[in-house]
Amino acid sequence: MATVDIVDLKKSFGAFPVVHGVSMDFEDGEFIILVGPSGCGKSTLLRMIAGLEDVTSGTISIDGKVVNNLSPKERNIAMVFQNYALYPQMTVAQNLGFSLELSKMPKAEITAKVNESAEILGLTPLLDRKPSQLSGGQRQRVAMGRAIVRDPQVFLFDEPLSNLDANLRVKMRAEIKALHQRLCSTIVYVTHDQVEAMTMADRIVVLRSGVVEQIGTPLELYDFPKNMFVAGFLGSPAMNFLPGKLAADGSAALVLNNGESVALARRPDVAGDTEIVLGVRPQDISQDPDDGTAATVKVVEPTGADTHVLVELAGTEITCVLGARLDLVPGDQIRLSFETPAAHFFDAETEARLEAGSNENKGHQP
Amino acid sequence: MTASVSSTMVHGKRRDPVLIGLWISLVLVALIWLAPVVFITFTSLKSESEIFSSAAFAFPSELQWSNFSAAWAKGNFNQTFVNSSVITVVKVPIGLLISAMAAYALAQIQMGWNKLLLVFVLFGAMIPFQVMLAPLFTLVNSMGLIDTYPGIILPYLAFGVPYQVFILHGFFRAVPKELTEAALIDGASHFTIFRRIFLPVSLPVLSALLILDFVSTWNEFAMALVLLQDKDMWNLPLGLMSYQGQFSNNYGQLNAAIVMTVLPATIVYLIFQRYFVSGLTSGAVKG
Repeated sequence: MATVDIVDLKKSFGAFPVVHGVSMDFEDGEFIILVGPSGCGKSTLLRMIAGLEDVTSGTISIDGKVVNNLSPKERNIAMVFQNYALYPQMTVAQNLGFSLELSKMPKAEITAKVNESAEILGLTPLLDRKPSQLSGGQRQRVAMGRAIVRDPQVFLFDEPLSNLDANLRVKMRAEIKALHQRLCSTIVYVTHDQVEAMTMADRIVVLRSGVVEQIGTPLELYDFPKNMFVAGFLGSPAMNFLPGKLAADGSAALVLNNGESVALARRPDVAGDTEIVLGVRPQDISQDPDDGTAATVKVVEPTGADTHVLVELAGTEITCVLGARLDLVPGDQIRLSFETPAAHFFDAETEARLEAGSNENKGHQP
Repeated sequence: MTASVSSTMVHGKRRDPVLIGLWISLVLVALIWLAPVVFITFTSLKSESEIFSSAAFAFPSELQWSNFSAAWAKGNFNQTFVNSSVITVVKVPIGLLISAMAAYALAQIQMGWNKLLLVFVLFGAMIPFQVMLAPLFTLVNSMGLIDTYPGIILPYLAFGVPYQVFILHGFFRAVPKELTEAALIDGASHFTIFRRIFLPVSLPVLSALLILDFVSTWNEFAMALVLLQDKDMWNLPLGLMSYQGQFSNNYGQLNAAIVMTVLPATIVYLIFQRYFVSGLTSGAVKG
């Protein structure tokens, strides 16, 4: 277990920069998730921590020691790859013990450590099998076992669940989280799946185009996104954005592009009829047949627990999560209320978050 | 309903005419390829009189094993067999090892000029060695290696490595880079990764190359003719050529000599062909 400190880290592939001077500190035992869309530099960042990519400039320190020039094996890290990367000709036991064997550990000790790791991950009955004789979930568990057997300072996970089916992903997610709670180790985990990020992380680092957009706990990022990118990236279904002008009279209302006025629960700390973007999560939108804003239903998606309805409002498509049983068909007119204290406001030009002063957002209130 | 089911079943049993055609072609081609083998084997076991009195593909009425012992003694096979064995047993594994290591380095260790180096290596495979025979003789002669094992093994290595590197490079490139990276993190050096991960993973392709290289080295004639002048250094094809010249009237013994020349390569093929069947990489990564 160790801290990880990254200072002004940059990476370019030839003349093409992919990581633009990012800085972050990970605490000892923290579960950090690097999240962002494809090409944001999250895997490159992880590979630089692992020593699999050279650093263009900046420093990476593990437990206070700068590791820029150390080879992967000298960094005392372990990495779990998206495609497992198990040695195909070796049995599960040999896969688990390979690193220990290379470190010239006595055989009896290797066997003990392999058995211990196998016990933790439920791999004991599979120790004599080869990777080709395992299911996807079992292979993933072997890959994790290969990491924990070494007792490394830092665990690195590169989209480890991406190749699993939905059910297995949920199961493995819980297993990884339980493993972290058991080992209390520092974990840096890369994913593009915001659900994984929200459910597993102690802190999330949101990256876009090689730049850190925001670092914080899952709920901090969910409740107080710094900008529209973070707001739109976290949460499922994604947050809706409604552009418009604040009411000139200073009241809590947003005037949409078609001139229609939308009542708000509060007003951001901006004077006059400034152009802003209202951000509302689908779960915070409700039906209000009396005072709601008119919208046209385009798609109805019943999920059983609730219904996702895609509507068009002033030329913008909005997704809302409404009651479990709705008698709606495309083309219907419904009236929606955006008068929620959980609404977010963003500057239309910079896309940065606008604070709402005394009416501070306290998160999603059902 | 019943009629439709039975009609579907009948339809399901109908063979694909293209497939039948392919099978017929395959059998015909196999027969054409097998005919000389059968002819040589049968003839090698017939007496002189039976060769001229029986049909070419008739099974020998009495097996003449003495043809083999006579041909072995007359053809100096004691010496040529040893020479061919030494040359092949030394050249083939060394060539494969050098090629595999070069291919691994070119495919997995990024040095910035890998592609250029690969093109340089492959350039060797593009020059027919017949063109190089005269300068090769001059070179080997100037090194005093004519009629020596190194004098034939080194040129064999030089001309064999490029195409093996080409094939192995393609194979190693297809091995997921995560395997190398996982091993690097586990603390393995590149040599360990090559030895412990890549060599076992590439057994099928190595076996294929071993068979091809064994057969081509065992049967090599042109370069041996130029570089091996002393009769005691001849390999089997040279010995066989000489035998054909001297004893061409004794077809039974001549064919016995041919069988003895071809047999080791056939045995090696039969031993290693099973590795062709399945790849070892299945299960290494998702896919």
